[in-house]
Amino acid sequence: MDLAMQARPMEAPIEAHNHNRWSPYVDNGGTTLAIAGADYVLVASDTRQSDGYLINSRYSPKAFVLSNNAVLGTSGCSADSKRLYEVLEQRAQLYQHRHDRQISTPALAQLLSNTMYSRRMLPYYVFPVLAGIDAKGAGAAYSYDAVGNMQRVTGVCFGSASALIQPFLDNQVRFKNQRDADPNRLLTREEAFKIAVDAFTSATERDIYTGDYLEIFIVDAAGAHKEMRELKHD
Amino acid sequence: MFLTRSEYDRGVNTFSPEGRLFQVEYAIEAIKLGTTAIGIRTAEGVLLAVEKRITSPLLVADSIEKILEIDSHVACAMSGLTADSRTMIEHARVEAQNHTFSYEEPIPVESVTQAVCDLALRFGEGADGQESTMSRPFGVALLIAGVDERGPQLYHTDPSGTFLRYEAKAIGAGSEGAQSGLQEQYHRDISLADAEVLALKVLKQVMEEKLSNTNVQLAKVTSESGYQIYSKDELQAVITRM
Amino acid sequence: MAPPAEPSTGFKFDNVKRNQLLGDKGYGQPTATKTGTTIVGIIYKDGVILGADTRATAGPIVADKNCEKIHYLAPNMYCCGAGTAADTEFTTKMFSSQLALHSLSTGREARVVTAMTMLKQFLFKYQGHIGAALVLGGYDVTGPHLFTIHPHGSTDKLPFVTMGSGSLAAMSVFESRWHEGLSREDGLELVKDAIEAGIFNDLGSGSNVDACVITKGNVEYIRGFSRPNERAVKEQSYRFAQGTTEFIVPTATAQGEEAAAMDVSA
Repeated sequence: MDLAMQARPMEAPIEAHNHNRWSPYVDNGGTTLAIAGADYVLVASDTRQSDGYLINSRYSPKAFVLSNNAVLGTSGCSADSKRLYEVLEQRAQLYQHRHDRQISTPALAQLLSNTMYSRRMLPYYVFPVLAGIDAKGAGAAYSYDAVGNMQRVTGVCFGSASALIQPFLDNQVRFKNQRDADPNRLLTREEAFKIAVDAFTSATERDIYTGDYLEIFIVDAAGAHKEMRELKHD
Repeated sequence: MFLTRSEYDRGVNTFSPEGRLFQVEYAIEAIKLGTTAIGIRTAEGVLLAVEKRITSPLLVADSIEKILEIDSHVACAMSGLTADSRTMIEHARVEAQNHTFSYEEPIPVESVTQAVCDLALRFGEGADGQESTMSRPFGVALLIAGVDERGPQLYHTDPSGTFLRYEAKAIGAGSEGAQSGLQEQYHRDISLADAEVLALKVLKQVMEEKLSNTNVQLAKVTSESGYQIYSKDELQAVITRM
Repeated sequence: MAPPAEPSTGFKFDNVKRNQLLGDKGYGQPTATKTGTTIVGIIYKDGVILGADTRATAGPIVADKNCEKIHYLAPNMYCCGAGTAADTEFTTKMFSSQLALHSLSTGREARVVTAMTMLKQFLFKYQGHIGAALVLGGYDVTGPHLFTIHPHGSTDKLPFVTMGSGSLAAMSVFESRWHEGLSREDGLELVKDAIEAGIFNDLGSGSNVDACVITKGNVEYIRGFSRPNERAVKEQSYRFAQGTTEFIVPTATAQGEEAAAMDVSA
């Protein structure tokens, strides 16, 4: 009797588990988004950390506040995300000590790109967004691929529900396919907050890897502060 | 000082029983043999002025370069064994470029100065894993001028690796006379145009030769245009204003 | 000698080799919707209780938030299905017909073992290629019966069973709390908790709990027995003003005339 066959009639959805070739990368699911405004920037991410059909943790935050008040939002491999945050925080502190000033968001953004590219041949399996206030006091969000290609954006989403949320952000944050809307208008923080919450409650309905809790960081000149919402646990 | 010579003045990394590193002190003395260089900080920018010793009428004056660019917002003037400065300036330029590469922003002026001073004591046999580039201390002093978000700044570095920030500073053979000249005439709200005249006036006092647009060099670092060296004509214009 | 006649019913395997070749060349195989699932069944004092979650998935996406996984088999028999959605659906449908015909020709209510035997023989014939994992429960002249049937055709007869990707979570509840002679209320509560363990701890399972209580001569199908995952209320409305979406108005133009087909002014 093939007990393995009996115990799990379902196959786990992650390819790596089906083949006997070991992979150093794990996709721990979850979603992160960022919206930049005139004088603030918002980062929202769910806190579920999973592997296949298993939930490893319902509260494993993947957005991190750095010492210069910028927020690093991540998705992909949770271990890599945490290490990337530690490396970046260490480099930000080192900058502070070496140059006797806080590292600016654009400088940190370039540093993150370099850090990612330095691992070109064995990349961090992370899709980061970096959000902070720029030299002019405006909200700045930077999005990256896993090897460090960087872009400044107004609305972006990475992770397991990105295919569900990104088109929603394109429409609601950048006003794509809205004929009479001003495409350069920036959202107020109240508008951005509502859109972030609705994006996540909707994604939780349809993406099995997104859920449990929602953490929303809002960064402005005064610093970063966090708001929490509960998402569905199924 | 020279009367107390002992075996302790030979080893570059051996303290004397009185707690002195003679080779470093001698290196500082070497600066006093160099040509005079002056730096003046104003609210608009920093001015650097150096004297060139034209020791022979056959010497091509333009080949003497004592003010060099480190980055578009930082420059330096030197006095002493100017050949030693090549290593330091190369290091400063690399540090500046590394900073821009890493952070997509210009390096702070103090950080360039610190980077140069980090080199100053890297002489002798070198500790494990640390490479030493020199067998002896550098025999050169630098005036580092630059602008960043803290405004125009002027730093002075010496062979001991110490750096200090100045409003106005003179180094080299005529430094004593020049420094007292600066002390008398410098004031905090001096304009850059007045600083140009002051620098040349002070330099003129300590120079043996007659000051002309060939035996001095002038440069400025401003917030608007960064590093700019004066052409012969621009120099002449300042001289006529004296 | 004439070649053997091609069977006119059942599965055809003509494309197996072709699909394998395409697969080897890097073209993906067609994928079927699978229901990462939690399904359970217990024996209690008066009969059998079946339970199921209601999530259907297509990869990481929830395809149906409230699907039915407890299928009708006969008036005295129901069957929960996990695995490939189409296989569980068609297998149970086929055998509900077979069992109806069986009842008509015998003039008796079909027995649960009969259904179990028919299902296992059918699944064994297809060597696991029909991905149906079933929990079969019913009440016949010999009393209450509960079986699990695996995709390869093996079966178990047990007083409490679980199946699907959430089977481990559900079984942990049964192993700690099931006992003989459970009341209807306690049995339903236990089934609900077992399914909810799957809903909350297995990503393949979700949404609501369906239950089915089968007793002698009676079936109570309880759709949405527990609904612990109601959708959150949106923060704002996303109604668009009329005319927000651009569109093209096709207009007929006479030949040779300047074409002005596109009109986005409306």
